[in-house]
Amino acid sequence: MNGRIYNWTFTAALFALASIGWAPTANAVPSFARQTGMACEACHTIYPELNHFGRVFKANGYTLDNLKGVRDITGEKQEMLALTGLPPISLMVQVSGTWLSKQIPDSTGIDGRAQNGTIAFPQQISLFYAGKIAPNVGGFIQLTYGNDSGTFGIDNTDLRYANAVVLPNEQSLIYGISLNNNPTVQDLWNSTPAFGFPYAGSNANVSPLAGTQIDGALGQDVAGVSVYAFWKEALYAELGVYRSAKQGASNPVTGAAGPLDGSISNVVKGSAPYFRLAYEHQWGRNSLEAGVYGANFKLLPGANADPTVPVVPAGVTNEFKDFAQDFQYQYIGEQHLFSLAGTRIHEKMNLDASSFTGEVANATNDLTTWRIWGTYYYKRKIGGTIGAFSTAGSMDAGLYGAGAAPGVVTSANGQPDTKGWIAELNYVPWLNTKLSLQYTAYTKFNGGKDDYDGFGRNASDNNTIYALVWFTY
Amino acid sequence: MKYLAASMVLLSGFTCARAGLADEVSPEIRSAALRVAVTTCATCHGPQGNSISPKFPRLAGQSAAYITAQMKNFKNHARGDADAVGYMWGMAAPVDDDLIVGLADYYSKQKPAAGEKSSDAAAIGRGKAIYTEGIAAGGVPPCASCHGASAAGTADFPRLAGQTTQYLVKQLRAFHTNLRDVAVMHGVTSGLSAENINDVAAYLASLGP
Repeated sequence: MNGRIYNWTFTAALFALASIGWAPTANAVPSFARQTGMACEACHTIYPELNHFGRVFKANGYTLDNLKGVRDITGEKQEMLALTGLPPISLMVQVSGTWLSKQIPDSTGIDGRAQNGTIAFPQQISLFYAGKIAPNVGGFIQLTYGNDSGTFGIDNTDLRYANAVVLPNEQSLIYGISLNNNPTVQDLWNSTPAFGFPYAGSNANVSPLAGTQIDGALGQDVAGVSVYAFWKEALYAELGVYRSAKQGASNPVTGAAGPLDGSISNVVKGSAPYFRLAYEHQWGRNSLEAGVYGANFKLLPGANADPTVPVVPAGVTNEFKDFAQDFQYQYIGEQHLFSLAGTRIHEKMNLDASSFTGEVANATNDLTTWRIWGTYYYKRKIGGTIGAFSTAGSMDAGLYGAGAAPGVVTSANGQPDTKGWIAELNYVPWLNTKLSLQYTAYTKFNGGKDDYDGFGRNASDNNTIYALVWFTY
Repeated sequence: MKYLAASMVLLSGFTCARAGLADEVSPEIRSAALRVAVTTCATCHGPQGNSISPKFPRLAGQSAAYITAQMKNFKNHARGDADAVGYMWGMAAPVDDDLIVGLADYYSKQKPAAGEKSSDAAAIGRGKAIYTEGIAAGGVPPCASCHGASAAGTADFPRLAGQTTQYLVKQLRAFHTNLRDVAVMHGVTSGLSAENINDVAAYLASLGP
């Protein structure tokens, strides 16, 4: 790597405009390039956004390959083994800087002791195995080291069996099964939460209180199985179920890795259904997808350590019904790339368990999140994204509570509303390297514009500048 | 003319390949080729080889010998234009010779769709003149002398009629700069200006099946 990368002044000098939220992880990996022998642009506009061919590659279970491998067949020429000659391994490194408009109050109570901004070196390093596992079976497996946890852990994982058949009128039907640990990680479009914009974001900013369950809250906490079909590379349908599958949890009685019992909070009761329906139309250099998706999660609250809180009867849950719409348009030209995408998620909460304990003010709440963003690149070298976002819903002073000083992550008025816009400028010197400057501006945060937490913090104080160097190789 | 004749021999050496005649393609290979064409190739090259995006060349009705030669050139990296490197080197690598014959046979038999008709009638007219008469001053022979009067191609020279403008322009530029290393095409395009290339491409793209 260029030695200058280690100079934080250089990194800091990149800043312009910044970003928000979780630090989402990538779907684009050179593992696939090594396996297929195809350059990134065959499957992507700019990573990690997929183009049509990339979506079909994913739907086919990540198995397209050009490598001589280790194979075995039966006497009837049936494949028994298909190991790629080179393991499709790749690495991703993110080094970043984050600066908030106004510093967070020092936790010691005395300001002026804190560092100005956060340099993350690294923010994240991920190791991927992404590619063919066996005939018709492939996987996207990500292990991530994050500077917040300081450890390696399982990240987005999608294991698939897929097959493609020719229908009588020479049309294709791809069908398959996905095992994955994050609702929508298996989806083919970049308009759904797991691989939607922003593709990378700060983990040293202030996260809003409210978000729907399907919007990343359950990532790596659940395991799901779904069946899907992609007809004519146009109509996509999927049905699946998710169960809780938490990491680092153990059964208190046996000390074994399971089952998860009442000592663990927010365990999915039984299985949570998930569905997805999408249609993509292609014409010339354009494609337009529109779809719906959703899930229904019933979460068992688990035992409350506070003995004064009423005990929730067995089987009573907090239910989250998520229904969403999404769209994605892409124009892929020789010099110009343009895409426009968005999603709107509506969540209906039936908070029977939390109502029983008095932790929430309302037995039912609504929450709606929408995001829309447009991306442009010139010659796959320079470009950016502008987007807007909003989360709004029922006022509930229990759910979105005010807290003790210094506030920051609390809501003085019990409203979940967080709104704003985001702008990102990208320079892509090589297809596997991205330099980003991001700016996120909040017009509302945790229910308010001014003094949202009751301790004098304004929404705009959380405005974030985020500079990122992102290698994948 | 001597140059042209010698070039044609050389070109034959580059492009001539053992073509799969209909009765040489076994039912197993035909079935395997159909499966690959529909489930893999069609994602870019479109249903039956009539691509949707002008970035990807149309294969419907293309000469089987030409497709065979190009697939082999992708496999051995003899063909080095940008999209060949980024896309087809990887795609062609695992395709064995039998499947190449099967794919070439399949696409050669598909019905080409109508091309894109440019609204610039003058460009089409200029392109037609270049295609049928050449440019004497620039030493550019008529394209028709190899590619056929209707640009439908022959056994050794590719079909150009109805091909996408973008692809034709890219290939002509690639021949001109030797990014795609074909001696006779390099000689032909040396005398073509950028406007000539656009005009010829507009004409060829406008030709129907």
